[in-house]
Amino acid sequence: MFDTLSEKKFLLKQLVKRDLTSKYKDSVLGILWSFLNPLLIMLVFTAIFSMLFGRQIENYPVYFLSGRVIYDFYNAATKGAMRSIKSNANLLKKIYVPKYMFSVSAICYEFINFLISFVILFGVMLITGASFHLTTIFAIIPIIFLVFLIFGIGLILAVCNTYFSDIGHLYNVFTLILMYASALFYPIEIVPASVQVIFTLNPVYSAITCFRETVVYGVMPNVGTLAYLATFSIAALGIGILLFSIYEKKLALEI
Amino acid sequence: MSVKGKIASFITGEDKENVPVIDDNIAIKVEHLTMEFKVTKDKIDTLKEYVIRTLKKNKKEKQKIRVLDDITFNVYKGDRMGILGFNGAGKSTLLKILAGIYEPTYGNITINGKVAPLLELGAGFDKNYTGKNNIYLNGAFLSMEEEFINEKYDEILEFSELGEYINYPVKNYSSGMRAKLGFSIATLVNPDILIIDEILSVGDIKFRKKSSDKIRSMMKDGVTVLLVSHSIGQIRDICDKCIWIENGHLVMEGEVNEVCDAYVKSAKSDKK
Repeated sequence: MFDTLSEKKFLLKQLVKRDLTSKYKDSVLGILWSFLNPLLIMLVFTAIFSMLFGRQIENYPVYFLSGRVIYDFYNAATKGAMRSIKSNANLLKKIYVPKYMFSVSAICYEFINFLISFVILFGVMLITGASFHLTTIFAIIPIIFLVFLIFGIGLILAVCNTYFSDIGHLYNVFTLILMYASALFYPIEIVPASVQVIFTLNPVYSAITCFRETVVYGVMPNVGTLAYLATFSIAALGIGILLFSIYEKKLALEI
Repeated sequence: MSVKGKIASFITGEDKENVPVIDDNIAIKVEHLTMEFKVTKDKIDTLKEYVIRTLKKNKKEKQKIRVLDDITFNVYKGDRMGILGFNGAGKSTLLKILAGIYEPTYGNITINGKVAPLLELGAGFDKNYTGKNNIYLNGAFLSMEEEFINEKYDEILEFSELGEYINYPVKNYSSGMRAKLGFSIATLVNPDILIIDEILSVGDIKFRKKSSDKIRSMMKDGVTVLLVSHSIGQIRDICDKCIWIENGHLVMEGEVNEVCDAYVKSAKSDKK
């Protein structure tokens, strides 16, 4: 069972398709919501906060969206992976399927949404007259590490959530803190220097910084920030895989 | 398994270690299989409760229930093995372990060949999907490949007798229709070992005949069968060997009529 890669690929394809169809079932606008949602949220934030921070931040909509797409991807994908084992409990008790496939498919599904939100970002950049830079290509580097980070954290959460069902509530609070510590909608300069240390320790903020540098400001990402992100995400991935492989076979008994 | 081996097997999805060489004629080798479930009267499943209970030193001792105890048997290739036992004897747990859903607490299982588990038909159905989409989804759960399903699609449709209904969502199906579709998908592969749990009684009388004909034709091709059923007649009919499990222990193993007779006798004496 599931010895070849093509069997796993087909399963992954089917799982992602199932997620996509079940999300947009019964909705008139369907997949258009994946475009509308970030766009509307951006408009709200721009309307509220560009008055407050507009002077410090050049092109507020792009500043906000470039952070928001990264944070949204992290937030949604880790939460999707966290729930992936529990929400498929009925299935996992009846058929043998490698359990990590559900976590992987949840993350892949959010990755598709992430790619869709790029269209919004580039569209807004075009409309607001922001300049495009060649360095945008290098945005792939922080994104790869962000994906590593998401896989690592997602697998850890998937195991924890199976044993303790209230991890989800705790993680919701955690991601809220993470959002405020990511300087999504305000400039980092308004934060006292002593508190800024917290921001630099936040790997999601590191990813956002590197992403903004390459896409919005047209410079190469700061090597130190990138190195921190790389170390953190590879460590998280390693721990995640290790933890999941230790507990994978016990999970069927817990759900 | 070493940590490194675990990571490697996690990535590739296969266990390269612990593959003992077994007799080529053996399809399934079960050695000292023991399965324990941990149960508590009130299960701690939130972190909050876990912390509070730990602080108050009020954690209930976990009780272990032995569902299967030191079971050893061999199934040779081409054998048709029936599994008998009263409710709660551990039959379904045994099949779930053989299907890879549970990991045994102790003991070893070696399986030689491709297994098709017919444990619960249509367990992976998405009720909002049409029958057609569910064929692909369920096929994926049963580790089939896309081209394979494309090739066999007409065969499934024909066998399931669903006709036009294949394009309707499964939530509108009757339970018989659902079972027919599930059966048609699950028996599609050409397995070496067929594990069947009480499913030969699905559908109407016509489909029941068709499904048992299908199993029989697979048996003719030399497939090994493991069958759990409460119908003694069915076991006598299909199987040539039998094991009898009671309270997790292997009570008897041998020729099918011999075991069935002893089982029926014990059931009758229990009633008195």
